This record gives sequence, structure tokens and C-alpha cells, in this order.
Amino acid sequence: MRALQRYRIHLGTGAWILHRLAGLALILYLITHIWVIHHLIGGQKSFDNIMEFFNNPLFKALEVGLVGVIFYHLWNGLRVTLVDMGVMVERQKTLFAAAVVVWLVTWGVVAYAMLTRVGGLLSAVERLGGGGLS
Amino acid sequence: MKHHENVTSGGAVLWLFQRITGVYLAVVLFAHVWLLHYLIGLKPGYSGELAYRLIAERVATPLWKTIDISFLVVALFHGLYGLWIVLEDYIHWGWARIFLYSAISVVAIVALVLGILTILPFQAGGF
Repeated sequence: MRALQRYRIHLGTGAWILHRLAGLALILYLITHIWVIHHLIGGQKSFDNIMEFFNNPLFKALEVGLVGVIFYHLWNGLRVTLVDMGVMVERQKTLFAAAVVVWLVTWGVVAYAMLTRVGGLLSAVERLGGGGLS
Repeated sequence: MKHHENVTSGGAVLWLFQRITGVYLAVVLFAHVWLLHYLIGLKPGYSGELAYRLIAERVATPLWKTIDISFLVVALFHGLYGLWIVLEDYIHWGWARIFLYSAISVVAIVALVLGILTILPFQAGGF
């Protein structure tokens, strides 16, 4: 029982630390995103130039990671908000497990769509390797 | 929970606001990504001139201007207030706090102005 309790505390603390780290990553992304998109003011050419800089497998892979970070912060934040509101307080373990499952499923679905779409990571890697399969 | 320990009355309002803005951001972010990267972004030939025109046409409408600016303001508030909460836990020296608070405020204002300057100029038929 004691071991179980300690395990639960560690889990909650771990989730809380990850939430902060994800938040830090997201504020860095947000500032960068605002700076990148502001190139719209300079017209199509200036916008195309900056977007071309990010059009490579490295940034496409980072974007897949970004989606995972967003979904973690979103679902864990919603879990904490629900507990704060008194929802499922007696069944926090179930809520925690549900948040983890929903996080991984939503990330998985969106990552799959990003990887397989035209111009996505897989086609970018193929292009880099001389266009082999397509 | 650990992060609720030092909540003062002013902090409690902000803490509640952080929850409300979080839910708002989740909803608007979903719409933002679904529309820009699925409904519009996956159109055949979406790049270069077409991409720029579709973005400009969308941002030119008053409804999208309103949504985008509210998204910008709320995201910056939620993110930078969150950053402040995290830093506050580790930085206890008075002047360092004042410096960080000022730095975060400057970043907030610069990012806000940059974002608004991006969204506002687009007018229907004039780009």
C-alpha cells in the first residue's frame, strides 16, 4: 500500500514536471511561430522564402514531436482542470490512465496523417534520397 | 496539489483564468489546425501563390481577424503567465524577479505587436 502510494505521488509529480517542460517548449514555439508567420507582411516571396527554410525532414520530424507535446499539455491540462473542478476526484487513477490513452491515440492518429500525406515526412525523406519509391 | 500551495487571492483569479484560457486554446487550436492544415492545407497545389492568396483571403475577413487576434492574445497570456509561474518557483532574488518580469513583459508586447501587425493589414481585394 505504501509502495502504491509512493508510486502514485511519483506519477503525479512526473506528470506535473512534464506539463511544465511541455509548456516551456510551447511558449518557445509560439514566439517562433509568430515571428515566422509575420513574414506574410512582406508579400508572397518573403513568406515562401521563410517557409522553404522549414521544408525539410528535420523540421517535419520536429513538427510531429510538437504535436505530441501539444496533445500532452492539452490532455494533462484538461485532466488537472477536471480534478480541480471536483470531477472524478475519487477515480483519479482511471482519469489519469484515460488521459494517457487519449494522448497517445490522438498523437498517433495525427502523426500518421502527417507522415503519410503528400509533402509529409515520408515523402520528404524519399525526395532527399533521390525520389526512390514515388 | 503541489502547484496550488502559495495561491494568494489575486493568484487564485489568475489560476482560474489559466484553466479557462487553456480550454479556449484547446478549442481554437483544434479549429486553427483543422482548417489550415487539413481543409485548406491539403488542397491540390497548395503552395506558393495559391497558398498566399488563400491565407490572405481568410485573414481579410473581420470574423477571422477577430478569432486570430483573440487566439494571439489568449495564447500569449496563457503561455507567458505560465512561464512566469514556473520561473517564480526557482528565482527568489528580488532584482532577478523584477528583471525576469520585465523581460517577459517586453516579449509579450513585442510578440503581440508583431502578431497584430501581421493580422491587421489584410483587406478584402487589396493584397
